[in-house]
Amino acid sequence: MEVRDATYRVWFDESSSTVFFEGSLRLGTADYRPISEILGEVLAKNLPVLTLHMLELNFLNSSGINTLYKFAIALRKQGITVVTVRGTTVIAWQTKSLANLKKFLPTITIEMQGDE
Amino acid sequence: MDERIGDYPDLDQLGAEVSVELFPESFTVRWDLCGATADFFASYFSQMPSCGADDDATQAEVENAISYVLNEAVENAVKFQAGGTITVKVGMYEDSLVFVVSNWIMGSAADVLRPRLHELIEGDAHELLLARVEANAANPEAGVSGLGFLTMITDYDARLGWRILAPDGAGDRVHFHTMARLPIFRT
Repeated sequence: MEVRDATYRVWFDESSSTVFFEGSLRLGTADYRPISEILGEVLAKNLPVLTLHMLELNFLNSSGINTLYKFAIALRKQGITVVTVRGTTVIAWQTKSLANLKKFLPTITIEMQGDE
Repeated sequence: MDERIGDYPDLDQLGAEVSVELFPESFTVRWDLCGATADFFASYFSQMPSCGADDDATQAEVENAISYVLNEAVENAVKFQAGGTITVKVGMYEDSLVFVVSNWIMGSAADVLRPRLHELIEGDAHELLLARVEANAANPEAGVSGLGFLTMITDYDARLGWRILAPDGAGDRVHFHTMARLPIFRT
């Protein structure tokens, strides 16, 4: 499962149960549909654990934040609660916006590289 | 009509500014140019010695804040524009960097936006963000996320204001100005 264009790549790695986000995501709301479809397929697998790898995601606009937060809600509603998001304080938006994931999926673990 | 919503000081107090004017009817504004425009201003202003988010803010944080907020504002302008030009102005006012993005929208679009803008200014943005995302999750076919202005406030401490003008001869369009102020001018 992978979707990509010139500026981004999103894919699911079955062996590590990880969704990778890479590049710069500044799409229009409707253009997030292929990414939402991948996330929907991941959701349907009902995995016991899941990791969201954000370390190489340099930008995410508000439509992308909406997609990410909605996925967190979907995970919560499906009872998939052992979820880790890996981010970095080096990329400023991640420090600003990833923490909100806890409001939608309180059990999520947010690991920020660069933290003391 | 000359209506102001939220925090919108007089533009003539902005003084020096850097501006870009786009003409979408003559030269199509591709979606990715929203980000490119925002990044131009972010690169320009984040490298000025006088700009800094807080005492411990890094240049990268300042650049990201400008890039995020301005990209959202320009995306909105491109998304809802109803002809005419789109102007982006950035300058300094009091202790803030000020962004003003102006474009023409249909009066009917302004009528839809108006109560939402009042809600943003008068409500708790963090609570509104939670409610909006939950509502979006319940309605997967929603055409817009509605998170642009909200995340400017919740994640970047932006102060927002809007001015809606209906000059003579504009027909059923209004001139819509979005002002965002970021507290990143270090005196």
